[in-house]
Amino acid sequence: MTELQELARQLLTEKTVNVVIGYEEGPRGVRPAFITAPEQASSLVFNIHCVQNLAAYLNPRRKQVAQLGKAAIVVKGCDARAVAGMIREQQVERANVVIIALRCGGVLQNPGTASELTAETTSVRCAGCTVRDPKLFDYVLGELPPEPPVNTHRVEQIAALERMTSAERWNFWTAQLSRCVRCHACREACPMCFCVKCTAEKTQPQWIDPSSTPRANRAWQTMRVLHQAGRCVDCLECERACPEHIPLGLLARYVADAVERRFDYAASDDPSVAAPFGAYRPGDEEEFIR
Amino acid sequence: MTHRFLSHQGLASLVAQLLAANTRVIAPVRAKDDPQQIDYQPIHSFEEAAIGVRLPRRSLKEYFLPPTEVLLHYSQTKEGVEIREVSTAAPPQVILGATPCDVASLEVVDKVMGWDYRDELWFGRREATTIVSFLCSLADSTCFCTAVGLGPESFRGSDLLLVPVDGGYLANVVTSRGEALLHGFASEATDAAIAAAESSSRAARQKVDSNLEALPADFGGWLASNFDNPLWKTIALRCHGCGACAAVCPTCHCFDIVDEHDTADSGVRRRNWDSCQTGLFTLHASGHNPRQSQSERFRQRIQHKFSIYPSRFAEILCTGCGRCSRSCPGGMDLPKLLLELVTLSQAKPEVSGQ
Repeated sequence: MTELQELARQLLTEKTVNVVIGYEEGPRGVRPAFITAPEQASSLVFNIHCVQNLAAYLNPRRKQVAQLGKAAIVVKGCDARAVAGMIREQQVERANVVIIALRCGGVLQNPGTASELTAETTSVRCAGCTVRDPKLFDYVLGELPPEPPVNTHRVEQIAALERMTSAERWNFWTAQLSRCVRCHACREACPMCFCVKCTAEKTQPQWIDPSSTPRANRAWQTMRVLHQAGRCVDCLECERACPEHIPLGLLARYVADAVERRFDYAASDDPSVAAPFGAYRPGDEEEFIR
Repeated sequence: MTHRFLSHQGLASLVAQLLAANTRVIAPVRAKDDPQQIDYQPIHSFEEAAIGVRLPRRSLKEYFLPPTEVLLHYSQTKEGVEIREVSTAAPPQVILGATPCDVASLEVVDKVMGWDYRDELWFGRREATTIVSFLCSLADSTCFCTAVGLGPESFRGSDLLLVPVDGGYLANVVTSRGEALLHGFASEATDAAIAAAESSSRAARQKVDSNLEALPADFGGWLASNFDNPLWKTIALRCHGCGACAAVCPTCHCFDIVDEHDTADSGVRRRNWDSCQTGLFTLHASGHNPRQSQSERFRQRIQHKFSIYPSRFAEILCTGCGRCSRSCPGGMDLPKLLLELVTLSQAKPEVSGQ
């Protein structure tokens, strides 16, 4: 039995938690698992296929999970930033979740695909990762594996976007977002989208038209990505959920880079560090407010 | 049903003639954003079509029920409200190389679209469309068409079903519309071609057959009488409720109707795709929501597809295409869940007493 399975079994046996949210082998690669009995702990795995950010299941609106009781959650260092975000924004009480962090050597872009990490198969979000050795945890497991190969695909995409004129960039995103069918799967799968009532669903007034039209799609995705500025943890769940395969992660990363340049802030795994959205510093740049 | 032989050149000429006559032809093509993937798209030349390469990412649904469409234009004048309805006549279109699961779904959805109200926009497009499907040899582990009464060789909803054989295709002529389309392009089918097509149909069927056994006849009844079974509490734990499954599903057809203003006194009424997997779907104006959690919403998805729709229309609202499983970010897997439910439904009740 692995260290992870043993810990899960112990937490459940001692009734420290009622459920361990982790990963198991599924019919098409690794998938989220909800372990509620000690004897099920042996199905837990952790490997390069553990793509999903499980933090979304801590969202109190996931009532089907919340009804199970107190949870322990398996996270990679990158996912821990989402848990930190939820603690920072008072969605989760730190004392009410047991964080099991795994030292990480990178994951694949998709859970059901390739069998090894290469420059093509490794997730773009692993490039330049600084949290392979997690800092937010109750338990941290495993030895630190070697760094994964670097997938430069997104860095190249961002460089290409930077080279465009603003009109070209506008046309690029208009074309991408015109495919949006407004199912809002991106929002539902996102660990950091937890508003009780999304602006897209407000009807008095109707801030954003609900139909899939270029104007409304742009308004919706612009609003969402701006609301994610400095909050997005780059887990790419939005992009994996999108039935139209819109590169939503690229859009979010583009904004995250701007936040980093402007506010010297990247999504942090320390819940006590204030994010730009919820804090004001006298030195904040504001020349763009006119 | 009659059989005809259509050569590769014959099919290319047929498509060229359609395109020359400005008929919209929709076929599987390589996706612009990812050449490994396939989308149904209008083509401008036969060479663009990538038939039999891989199951298209999305179904044919958007060509009959677009993600959004205008129902009427309205404007308010001093005299009152002026309404201008949209035309329900659709230009002719031909669908080429669609998979049997996608084509069959159209007939399944026809039932509800023509039920208490005849949906003229849906049927306008249905009647304007000629469908040429292909024997599907693309099944992967998420496919289960044979479990819901279909198969990779099913011609349900097709005008023509093409099966690749030496030198071209064996054309199964299903309707007179299909026969008219072939006119002048096809020749007599040889017995050898018919036999070869039968053999490849069997092989295609074997590829998917073992994924899931045919659903039992009383499955819908069991679901209906197990509405309060505690299994629903845990079956959808990993479901985010994102509704991506409904967007890619060929049979999910629910829509929402909204009015959108262009100016203060004019605008459009549209209908948009909707999904029972989101909380908003059943939220009442009072604030009450009868489906409080994802447990109830996922139960609805299963009940509607495998119990409610069959009891009303004698049709399973699923063609086994497997897209919901492929697109689910949470790793929900419909064939696996159906197997669990079927196993539970067939479990003998425990004998109580001595």
